[in-house]
Amino acid sequence: MNLISPFALWWLLLAVPVVVFYVLKIRLKRVPVSTVIFWRQIFDEKKPRSLWQRLRHLVSLLVQLALLAMLVAALAEPFFSWEAAGARRVVLVVDNSASMAATDVAPSRLERAKEEAAAVIRGLRPRDELAIVAVSPQPRVVCGLTGHHRTLLDALAGIPQTDGPSPLAAAAAVARRLAADTDGGGKEPQVVVVTDGCGEAAPAAADVRVVAVGEKVGNVGITRFQARRSTLDPIGYEVLIEVANQSDDPTGDFRLVLKLNDHPLDVVPLNLPPNGKWSKTIDSTTADGGRLTAELVVKGEKGDAPYPDALAADNTAVAVLPKREPMPVHLHSPAGNWFLENVLRANPLVNLTVGKQLADAPPPGAVVVYHREVPKTLPPGNVLVIDPANGCDLWAVGDKLANPIVTQQDKDSPVMAHVRLDNVLMPEAHKLTFTPAAGKPRVLAGVVTGDPVFAQIDRPSGPVVVLTVDLDKGELPFRTAFPILATNALALFAGGAGELREAVATGATADVNLPATGQAFELVSPDGSVRKLPAGAAKATAGPFDRCGVWAVTADGKPIEEVAVNLMNRAESDLRPTAPEAPPATAADAGLTSGLLGRPVWWYLTAAGFLLVALEWYLYQRRWIS
Amino acid sequence: MPLFDSEFLKKLEYLSLVSKRVFRGSLLAQRRTMQLGTGVEFADHREYTPGDDFRYLDWNLYARHDELLLKRFQEEEDLHVYFLLDASRSMAFGDPPKFDFARRVGAALAYIALADLDRIAVTAFAADVAADFPLTRGKDRILSLLKFLENLEPRGEDTNLERVATGFVHRDQRRGLVVVLSDLYDPAGFERGLDILRHRRYEPHVVQIHDRYEREPADMLGDVEMWDVESGTSRKVTVTEKNLRQYRALFDDFQDKVQGYCTRHALGCTRTSTEVTFDELILRMMRTAGAVR
Repeated sequence: MNLISPFALWWLLLAVPVVVFYVLKIRLKRVPVSTVIFWRQIFDEKKPRSLWQRLRHLVSLLVQLALLAMLVAALAEPFFSWEAAGARRVVLVVDNSASMAATDVAPSRLERAKEEAAAVIRGLRPRDELAIVAVSPQPRVVCGLTGHHRTLLDALAGIPQTDGPSPLAAAAAVARRLAADTDGGGKEPQVVVVTDGCGEAAPAAADVRVVAVGEKVGNVGITRFQARRSTLDPIGYEVLIEVANQSDDPTGDFRLVLKLNDHPLDVVPLNLPPNGKWSKTIDSTTADGGRLTAELVVKGEKGDAPYPDALAADNTAVAVLPKREPMPVHLHSPAGNWFLENVLRANPLVNLTVGKQLADAPPPGAVVVYHREVPKTLPPGNVLVIDPANGCDLWAVGDKLANPIVTQQDKDSPVMAHVRLDNVLMPEAHKLTFTPAAGKPRVLAGVVTGDPVFAQIDRPSGPVVVLTVDLDKGELPFRTAFPILATNALALFAGGAGELREAVATGATADVNLPATGQAFELVSPDGSVRKLPAGAAKATAGPFDRCGVWAVTADGKPIEEVAVNLMNRAESDLRPTAPEAPPATAADAGLTSGLLGRPVWWYLTAAGFLLVALEWYLYQRRWIS
Repeated sequence: MPLFDSEFLKKLEYLSLVSKRVFRGSLLAQRRTMQLGTGVEFADHREYTPGDDFRYLDWNLYARHDELLLKRFQEEEDLHVYFLLDASRSMAFGDPPKFDFARRVGAALAYIALADLDRIAVTAFAADVAADFPLTRGKDRILSLLKFLENLEPRGEDTNLERVATGFVHRDQRRGLVVVLSDLYDPAGFERGLDILRHRRYEPHVVQIHDRYEREPADMLGDVEMWDVESGTSRKVTVTEKNLRQYRALFDDFQDKVQGYCTRHALGCTRTSTEVTFDELILRMMRTAGAVR
């Protein structure tokens, strides 16, 4: 047997005061009595003092010395050599993904997982070490290798519930690296994954043991919820919603309530078959924007009640619709064009002014649209040129292309989104030759000869988009591509303002453009917790997002951008474990707890000390010892 | 703080007032001796013999029957009240000490007696007589008595009431009331001493005093060295809860034994704890005697 802290044996010197106190104690307390008449009657009837009575003072001293010896030995932390040889290095991987919030086991799967993990911690043998890795949204070591139970239990209790995915394979890899015997201590590495088996499966390996929590329960959830701008209506948007019943039983009647800023927008009654799903695209319009929420509800006694399933995180979803600001547009068309003017006028965001003279000054900040007549030098700002009849500082107008056929389109350009020009007749389009001042224009649409008919020139003073098609002779004005193209061009000029940001799934990240104001930026989660964003950067990556809801990037407390985050993870919503064979249900079943006999020697010594104290107290109360 | 201060004296005066006449009739009962003498209460007649005082001839009877008869009157005598005050060391026990309490009670009763023109004497005793205050009369003697009591100290060893009583009854003195102020912790038993007083036609009245810690000993559990303050001897014992229960039972038996003895022999008996004040005790004794309501 060896001692970890042999210096603790110095505490044995406490035996000296114990003996001194014992000697002082046997000098009995002197109690005056007025008469011994009555006491004599009591004590003279008793038998002579037995051998035990004479020894009981000595026994009391021996009990105290034994107690001291036990406590000192416990402080010295003795251990056997076989304990050191059989030590383990355990890494606990605790799944805290969205599905672990399910309440099929009270109070939740995560809390049950923590109980199992705590059982593993308490079952550590004396020389074992243990580390804890939280799975979601990304694997994270919450406590390094240690054998200190209190530290481990505190770290375990601090693992938060997230709405993120469960990257168990990555977490297991982290755990394996952590458990690897790098210091040559000879400890047996072991990875213990505590999970509900939903989402990503734990890797099957000899050194990975799985402790399962939760039961096989059904769940109904919103598995897709995405909003986008309408391709036709600048203030319109489309919402794609998918609701899935991940259960072997039908759902019964329930409803999907769609709200914009808490005002009901649509209510869809639903009743899904086993393992069925429902999806729909809903169109609507709003210029003011706001928060668009979808919620699964059932009819309650006092109105709608939340859908009563085990997982609440996927019963709601949210999208952020930014406000669309009006855009001043000045059209210069000496001859006028009915289609062009009405395409612009039909856009509800456009405040259109029309001029016929180049001398007419456009409103400040307006997008200037030139039709046919172009000034020698294009003004700074956003400029759209349709069918230029004359050259300018950026190009020279060449011959006409008889029957140009568009053979190349820049599909990556936002201006060409949802636009197809390859089958559109555009006779007598002008051929342009760009001057060096135009730099290297981006050809949005080109014909077979390689000549551009639609191009974007990015000037330092503002972008210029030029379309060489003669609107009076081609069929472009009759195609849906024309208003889409005009809307896309205006959206390009508007920049990112008012553009709709797609909702992201939990566990993902999002790039955020930060204004160069020198302010400190923060990322505020739906529950109000704050994370700092890098200062001075033009763009920052926010996330990974671990909670559902609307996250806000703020500067001095004011939001500058919002990101909608939804679960949108069918695997996490499916609360039926995917493991082919049920793993051991508890840590004890998995043989991960050592029980009472797995405790260190000092624990037994301390326990024996307490038993000795209890025994002494019992004997003292009965005056068997003093 | 003096044992007998002005407050004490005020209380004595008060007690004397409330006890007047009626109290005397019971506790300090006004005794009439069988001796015939010069009293005012007629007793009987006897034949005249030469030398008798003519003033006591019943001239009416002589005129009616022509017979010389002498009127005899019952002579009233002062009541003699003797106080036997236990001054053994056991009386020093308690808080307040039982001895202080006994002295106050004795002083109060003596004052009441002196106020009624009775005669009182005080004998302090332990194993034997320790000090005497001679028979005295008159209210003005109270201060001397208080001084005597104040100078007493509980220094005597084992109480021996029998020896004290034997010596007491052999004194050349008149019979009377004997107020025994003691805890009665006599190793040989208190009965023999009281028997001697009774047999010699004294009328004992027992005032038995105990302290509350005698009834409920404190800090006694465990191994203790029990020190008898009276004998000065000590004994190492282990006191258990069971022992304490036995002790309480024996103590209560002793109290009952004192009461039983007094009842059996029609003696006055007052058992008290030092928790009550002396004036409360006197009033209680008066109520028992019917002196006050």
